[in-house]
Amino acid sequence: MADVRLKNVSKRFGESKKNDAVMAVKDLDLDVADGEFLVLLGPSGCGKTTTLRMVAGLERATSGEIFIGDRSVNDLPPGDRDIAFVFQFYALYPHLSVYDNISFPLRAQNMSKSEVDEQVRRVASRLKIEHVLNRRPNRLPSGEQQRVALGRAIVRQPQVFLMDEPLTNLDASLRSEMRVELKHLQQELGTTMLYVTHDQVEAMSMSHRIAVMSMGVLQQVDTPLEIYNHPKTLFVATFIGSPPMNTVACKVVDGHHLQGIENTFRLTLDPSYANRLANTKEVVFGIRSEDARLVNDDSAQLRGTVAVREPLGDETIYDMDMGQYRMAVKTPPRQIFRPGEPVGVAINLNRIHLFDRVTGQAV
Amino acid sequence: MADTQLAQRTRTAQFEGQIRPRFSWFTDRWIAISFLTPTMLLLLFISIFPLVWSLYLSFTDWSVIKDANTAPQWIGTANYLELLTDNRTWQRFVVTGQFVVPAVVIELLLGFGIALLLNRKFTGRGAIMTLLLIPMMLSPIVVALFWRFMMQGDGVLNYYVVNLFGLEPILWLSDRYVAPWSLVIVDVWMWTPFMMLISLAGLSAVPNYLYEAAAVDRAGTWFRFRHITLPMVMPLLLIAIIFRTMDAYKLFDQAVVLTGGGPGRFTQTASMYLYDVAFGQFNTGEGSALGYIMLIVITALANLLIRALNATKST
Amino acid sequence: MNYEKKSLANRIGFWVVLGIVFFFFMFPLYWIAVSSIKTRTDVISRVPSYIPYTQFQPTLDNYTSILLGTTIESDTGVRASADLSVFRDRLTNSVIIAGLSTLLAVILGTLAAYAVSRFHIRGESDLMFFILSTRMLPPIVVLIPIFLLFSNLNLRDSYPGIILLYTTVNLPFVVWMMKGFFDEIPVEYEEAAMIDGYSRLQAIWKIVIPEAIPAMAATAVFSAIVAWNEFVFANLLNRTYGATVPPWLNSIIGVGAVEWGRLAAASVIFVLPIVIFTFLVRNYLLRGVTFGAVRR
Repeated sequence: MADVRLKNVSKRFGESKKNDAVMAVKDLDLDVADGEFLVLLGPSGCGKTTTLRMVAGLERATSGEIFIGDRSVNDLPPGDRDIAFVFQFYALYPHLSVYDNISFPLRAQNMSKSEVDEQVRRVASRLKIEHVLNRRPNRLPSGEQQRVALGRAIVRQPQVFLMDEPLTNLDASLRSEMRVELKHLQQELGTTMLYVTHDQVEAMSMSHRIAVMSMGVLQQVDTPLEIYNHPKTLFVATFIGSPPMNTVACKVVDGHHLQGIENTFRLTLDPSYANRLANTKEVVFGIRSEDARLVNDDSAQLRGTVAVREPLGDETIYDMDMGQYRMAVKTPPRQIFRPGEPVGVAINLNRIHLFDRVTGQAV
Repeated sequence: MADTQLAQRTRTAQFEGQIRPRFSWFTDRWIAISFLTPTMLLLLFISIFPLVWSLYLSFTDWSVIKDANTAPQWIGTANYLELLTDNRTWQRFVVTGQFVVPAVVIELLLGFGIALLLNRKFTGRGAIMTLLLIPMMLSPIVVALFWRFMMQGDGVLNYYVVNLFGLEPILWLSDRYVAPWSLVIVDVWMWTPFMMLISLAGLSAVPNYLYEAAAVDRAGTWFRFRHITLPMVMPLLLIAIIFRTMDAYKLFDQAVVLTGGGPGRFTQTASMYLYDVAFGQFNTGEGSALGYIMLIVITALANLLIRALNATKST
Repeated sequence: MNYEKKSLANRIGFWVVLGIVFFFFMFPLYWIAVSSIKTRTDVISRVPSYIPYTQFQPTLDNYTSILLGTTIESDTGVRASADLSVFRDRLTNSVIIAGLSTLLAVILGTLAAYAVSRFHIRGESDLMFFILSTRMLPPIVVLIPIFLLFSNLNLRDSYPGIILLYTTVNLPFVVWMMKGFFDEIPVEYEEAAMIDGYSRLQAIWKIVIPEAIPAMAATAVFSAIVAWNEFVFANLLNRTYGATVPPWLNSIIGVGAVEWGRLAAASVIFVLPIVIFTFLVRNYLLRGVTFGAVRR
């Protein structure tokens, strides 16, 4: 069991003097506690996989230091780091049987045959893949391939699990099933888990904490609900949540009033905001679709017309045409408006988000 | 419970004290170097060094037989000047060109045509295709032998020329006007399968939805061929042309067996001429110079063809 | 376009044209094969015969003669045109030389291809182009210096000389082919093995090589065919010792009356491995003939 600490880690691809050098990861500080399930979340190309591969030893950090437990692992080859890695495409060896795939890491340790056998069978029974032990992995359905890959990872009882989008190649129903199972497995083994995904549902549902990355920079590390309710940057706010948070750029007028850039609307906030907005001239105003309501009375602060109606069964999402911008609003299924109909939008002012328009940081 | 046992075992697992993998000093860098070295040494020693030596010899007057014990005498560009002002040299390149151009063009047209024919599903397709590909795998010597057998004066070809068409027997290999074409025929037999194979790869790579889209747009057969098939297959065809041209240019083996350069010197290719200069007359220096002239010609030709290839790729 | 039902005329036309094409490419092969089982009289008969037992009486004499060195009864009174009994030795030489040079080329080339495929090597594309260019040279250009080099090193008329030469000839091909195949084997396989506690060499041996075995076999077949068929160097370098079949086939027809029946038998024996190999590697033919440049 071990924690994982990254201190000021950077990764640059290409030569520093040339223009084609790319900073994949910039000055990353991240602590993963012992036994924690931490998800690295971000769009493709944000540096999350590079970070994971640096922890595994598959990439060398350009600068900074990585610790697993008390050991600095910068100079250790991957095999000496006592970690297990599950690849996106599983990397199951096609020429070996499932049994040999799972026992492969054990045989690297000169373990006796009977002990290897015992371990493999225990893992196989835990993952319910005993019946395929003698088959070749590439003939198996993807769900079972996934389990074999997990088996190969847990059989060696590593200090840390590293997983790179392991559920991406499963179909939707299997994916939700495996989400539960993976979370259960991690709880039961209590092994530290660093898990990379671009899927916010996976991140929200499985993790203890989420680390959101964008363009090689760590945006925020927090519990899922904290990330959802109190995003620290505009990127986090818009990346998480479906439909994405509604945002619109505004000017700050008279201390605690927001005015649309094109004078399209005016919103009066609680006077207590005046302090927070004292040093900011332009902000991005954000509101999640469930924190606004469609109303036909005076409680509406904004007015628009219905553009598109998307009934989802348990709720309906209205895509509103607000003049210069658009806005998504979630409503109960029974509340029906027609496209083209003018409607008022009431915003829950306790649930608004404000970001500096220049830096993207929450204010 | 097996599960809790597993969890406990995990907690007690000890990593410290485990033996480090063998050869850990053998870093990636060293692996890369030691994997590449034997290949590079062989190429340097048996490909590059001889080439450089040959360049040196091409500026000397030397014969491996007569001057074996004396150092080669430096004569500057005299060999090149002599060769380039000699009508015979040009004649050999003309012979080579008169073989390469018709051979490659016919192989291309025929191979592409057969590929169009085979680009559909039918029983026995795999077996027939593999059989058709056998000629290009054979030794040129054997191929030439087969055809010499058939093309000799009283061979099977002339039997039908006489008895089926009622013509005079054709002197396939000893008539100065026919012999060059016989070389082409044999080369076409041997290498058309190559063009066919590559054309087929190009044709089968054209996605079917393009044809479906064209069919929906009511495009005719010719339009589909001209605007979908041909542009998609073109880059591959050019690769095939490059391979074939470079290869046909080296023509030696087949011609040696079929005609031996005859009648007279009418089918003596550049390669055969070089062989004759270097190992018939033992003018080693002049032969080396001729080799370099051949090399320059082929490099220029390859460059032209590769440019044509890049041009079609970028459009 | 297969959804269109072909008309009857279309299908008949297709088979007729295919038949003509097939005939053109298969006739020489059949003609040699059928000639190899004819007696001398049938071979030189002006009227061609094609069907054994009905048109002529087949015999295996040509084969026994060429392989066992026995004389055929009809030889009496006819001047033997050339020494046909060396064929067996030539064949042995061809097998040894093609086999060993292929083994060497595949081992060395595979290692180099792995290094180029997996490691960041400065000027990688230049290196690959350099390797390729050594193969694109007309062999005749380096014929003179190779001849001199081998004379000075006493490598002419020897096995090691020609084996090393053919190894070098095939190396660029092996490197290009195997690099293409290695590029298709996911790096994750080695990464997984290395995370699991194996060294890179162990990962290569336990994972990469077993994955690459079919590709190596196909590459070996192509290399072996090149070495098997090579004429120019063999003809110049190994005249007395370690001489292979192709120069012998060429020398036979230069001398006097040609024993076509026995030459046909020798050709069939020489060509048979190639035909078998062609069928074995049929799925790799496209890659093989284009140096791995064209894949399907």
